[in-house]
Amino acid sequence: MTFNKKFYSFAAAILSIGLLVSGCGDDTKDEAAGSGSTDEKVQLELWLTPQWKGVQDASEDGADYDSFFKKAAEDYTKENPNVAIDIQVIPGEERADKLSVAMQTKTLPDMFFDSAFALTEYAHAGILAPMDDIIDDESKKDIPETIWDNVQINDETYFYPFSHNPGTLAYNAEMFEKAGLDEYISGEYEIATWTPEEYEMILETLKEKLPDVSPMGLFAKNNQGDTWNLSYLTMFGNKIYDKDGQIVVNEENGVKALEYIKNLNDKELTTAGAETLSSNDVNAMFQNQQVAVSFTNSVLFNGILNDMENGVVNKFDLRLANIPGEKNPTSFTYVAGGAVFNTGTEAEVEASKDFVKFFSTDKELVKASKNSLPVRESVSKEASSELPYLEAYNKNSEYIFNFSNNTPGYAELRNAFFPELQAVFTDEKTPQEALDSFAENGNRIIDTNTEKSVILK
Amino acid sequence: MQKKNETQSNGLNTTNSIIAMDTQKTKKKKKFRGIENPYSGYLFAGPQIILFLVFIAYPVFEGFRMSLFEFSYSSEVFVGLENYKTLFADPVFIKSIFNTLIFVAAIVFFTIMFSLFVATAVYDKTSKYVSFIRGSYYLPVMVSMVVMSIIWNFLLNPANGLINYLMGNAGLENINLLGSTTWVMPVIIFVTFVGNVGQSIILYVASMIGIPEDYFEAAELDGATRWQRIRHILIPLVKPTTLYLVIINIIAVLKIFVVIQLLTGGGPNNASVTMMYYLYQNAFIYNNTGVAAAIGVMMFMIALLLAIPQFKTFGNKD
Repeated sequence: MTFNKKFYSFAAAILSIGLLVSGCGDDTKDEAAGSGSTDEKVQLELWLTPQWKGVQDASEDGADYDSFFKKAAEDYTKENPNVAIDIQVIPGEERADKLSVAMQTKTLPDMFFDSAFALTEYAHAGILAPMDDIIDDESKKDIPETIWDNVQINDETYFYPFSHNPGTLAYNAEMFEKAGLDEYISGEYEIATWTPEEYEMILETLKEKLPDVSPMGLFAKNNQGDTWNLSYLTMFGNKIYDKDGQIVVNEENGVKALEYIKNLNDKELTTAGAETLSSNDVNAMFQNQQVAVSFTNSVLFNGILNDMENGVVNKFDLRLANIPGEKNPTSFTYVAGGAVFNTGTEAEVEASKDFVKFFSTDKELVKASKNSLPVRESVSKEASSELPYLEAYNKNSEYIFNFSNNTPGYAELRNAFFPELQAVFTDEKTPQEALDSFAENGNRIIDTNTEKSVILK
Repeated sequence: MQKKNETQSNGLNTTNSIIAMDTQKTKKKKKFRGIENPYSGYLFAGPQIILFLVFIAYPVFEGFRMSLFEFSYSSEVFVGLENYKTLFADPVFIKSIFNTLIFVAAIVFFTIMFSLFVATAVYDKTSKYVSFIRGSYYLPVMVSMVVMSIIWNFLLNPANGLINYLMGNAGLENINLLGSTTWVMPVIIFVTFVGNVGQSIILYVASMIGIPEDYFEAAELDGATRWQRIRHILIPLVKPTTLYLVIINIIAVLKIFVVIQLLTGGGPNNASVTMMYYLYQNAFIYNNTGVAAAIGVMMFMIALLLAIPQFKTFGNKD
């Protein structure tokens, strides 16, 4: 009896210690959140995924991915000595994991700088602060409407656009010359436009004349296979989403486009085993001159050109092409900008917004947007001499479509897309079956997440 | 005489009871001192119990609780068994259960069979030879599964991987092992098996070397062949090791994740998706914490269901 009693009291003591240990450490942030006045010290944290190195240029001494924001923070804190800003670079592939853990443990940063599409789900979760109050009329006019479309949900702006990064195709012009395809090579700073028929003929000729090279880089291993592959589905004029935000890509012309891609794959005009190739695999093969036409965006493109200059990649004649379209070419862009989480104290949220406004409008700092493409027409004009591709990209801007549609649950949606492509490439499903299945699952995902969305209610 | 004896025995009794009382007193005094205290053991186990409660028992309990809620940043809503209903209506999840069970059955079977085969073949050879074999099979265990997966990824790359190149030279062109719904599972089973089997071989060899020579000598005298010795002495005597290996391998393979994440991403068309991979996707990519917790609970149940019969057999002394 005594033993039992003692044993239980001992066990109870250990249990209570255990619970005490597990229970502590929860409310510290809330206590800190209690403080408020603007003169008080405000500690901010900004996370970003790698965008460009250096403040303005990768050739600067000690240029790194955080250089720009360190400089911006230094300038900002000179004027606002009560604010301290920590900068942390997060690898792009870890973004979802890091943010998910931070969200669940209530340790989100105050700001995030990234492509807007990757963060829209956090806007839908109700934890991004709308920024319309810090955007002045001058900026509204300076940035084109197509860019604003990418960062607004329900007429509210959740990202302050800084730069954008258009997605196109890239091709090895030397291979085109060798294959006798000179007439399809565009000027050095132009973007070539081919129709789907021409594109197929180009790939066939490349295959015939250069048998050791894969004519086209195609990949569908993981969720990176969303943007370019979705763009291919619009080749024959089909839309991905209708006006209500529902997926309609399983209509006639969407299916025709997937049949076209499947046909290229069957004729071995694409990289073998596209269903298990990632974008990194294909990009590496393109740089090693094993692929003639590949995907690119302006940051990736400039990166390859820099690597050629530095001798990291063997030099070849690298040029740009549009994603072919029957009537018009298809184009999309990743808009990058700062977002503010509304999960801190009022003082933290206000200071964060002020800092985002600072680096997105400061005359000197915004020039750094030329590392991809400036969203501001004023910066584009000023930097046009340094941006030889700018004119060509600007011509393309009318063909831009918003591939994510800022839809709730896009992270889940893009994960429902690539398995269907894999099913088509491995002959498990016909293009019609695959797109029907994508539309069904996709619309279910959109509906569920629309219900969950805090800002669409 | 009788009386005297009685008095004597009475006297003895009294002395005995005095001694007993003294001992009791000393015992009582000693009770809460020193290491002889019967409860001091709990004190030694205390830190471990606290760690167990905080890092194992509490998360398991919390996992059960979370599986009944839907989470957003600022709120959690009780949804009952809704997360489980969602999962059972999801074809990808059903596929993930099926795939996980295939992985468990195949990998555990091959690991046990192969390591028994290797261990019985080498246990009675010279120690240098045994060390060499153990080292060779243990090498992949020491290499991180991430590194292994990346190397296999290079080898199996459909466009420029060595395996595809060799198969192409052998006349098997355009075969993409990871891109085939038929081949993807066998390939992952093989890759995991290679990275897993060394541990079992080490344990089997250690266990077999520990078996007294007498049994084998007696069997030899009785004219038993090598196969009979293995079949009737060796395998029954290493049964506890077999049971242990079966359990730890079931639990390890149930959690199969890294190979899937790095080699196939669950593809092609979810042909290799596992419960752990689907849990990860729900928890960290889709932010469906409640659904992820429900998958975790079901994995816990499956592990329990598979392990209980093994533990029961473990307890039997036969």
